Amino acid sequence: MMPDHWGFVAMAYGLAAVVLGGYWRRLARLEREVAAPRTRSRAAR
Amino acid sequence: MTATRALGWLSLAALAIGIGWGLGLAPREETQGNVQRIMYVHVPSAIVAEYIACPLIFFASVGYLWKRRAEADRLAHASAEAGVVFMALTIITGSIWGKPTWGTWWTWDARITSVSILLLMFIGYLLLRAATDEPERAANYAAVLGIVLALNVPLVHFSVYWWRTLHQPPSMLKPGPMTLSPEIVRPLLINILAYAILFAYFVAKRVRILKTEAEAMA
Repeated sequence: MMPDHWGFVAMAYGLAAVVLGGYWRRLARLEREVAAPRTRSRAAR
Repeated sequence: MTATRALGWLSLAALAIGIGWGLGLAPREETQGNVQRIMYVHVPSAIVAEYIACPLIFFASVGYLWKRRAEADRLAHASAEAGVVFMALTIITGSIWGKPTWGTWWTWDARITSVSILLLMFIGYLLLRAATDEPERAANYAAVLGIVLALNVPLVHFSVYWWRTLHQPPSMLKPGPMTLSPEIVRPLLINILAYAILFAYFVAKRVRILKTEAEAMA
């Protein structure tokens, strides 16, 4: 039987959180960026 | 609350259950020990990237070349971008699992090499889009590359049968009875569902952003 290697498990779950969370945040930032000009043009009208 | 936002919350809830089950409730695997818990991240991300993102890219690309609809191109673009995230995660978590199990971070095994080629094609797809100025030309080139990219999936899937590999053959997506115990299958299915919902959220959100960008440019 193999030893537990919890460090590898933590590394895998941690990196998954970083990768998926990073893309989640990128999409949120992009959404804010594309929404900003629309909000400005609506306010100007 | 919009449907996309609801999808986002649903994916978070499903991920919380999946992680809790994978790290806590699921039993310690007899041979591999706790390292096997990495499979609750590795397998779902591989299934989403190879069997959900790639077919979506394929059908959306064929649809674009056939009907010339911008919606199909946006769906292919969004699926490729989200797909590259899950594909990269597949390779990263596979490598982390490989070190304690096989004794190496990396080996030029047929499955690992073919998956890496697929990742490079995903990256190439996105670079091609970014490097082509004219949107219609970018969509045309990307659609052709998208079809070629997706046609690699059978090669990745059957690589473990066609060549002698260190990577084990599929435990789930294969004909015949399931070889995994139900205690392992249940958290695996929950995590596959969670990752699929998260992928759907990413794609829906990216499609909406691409649509807004296109409207702003028109």
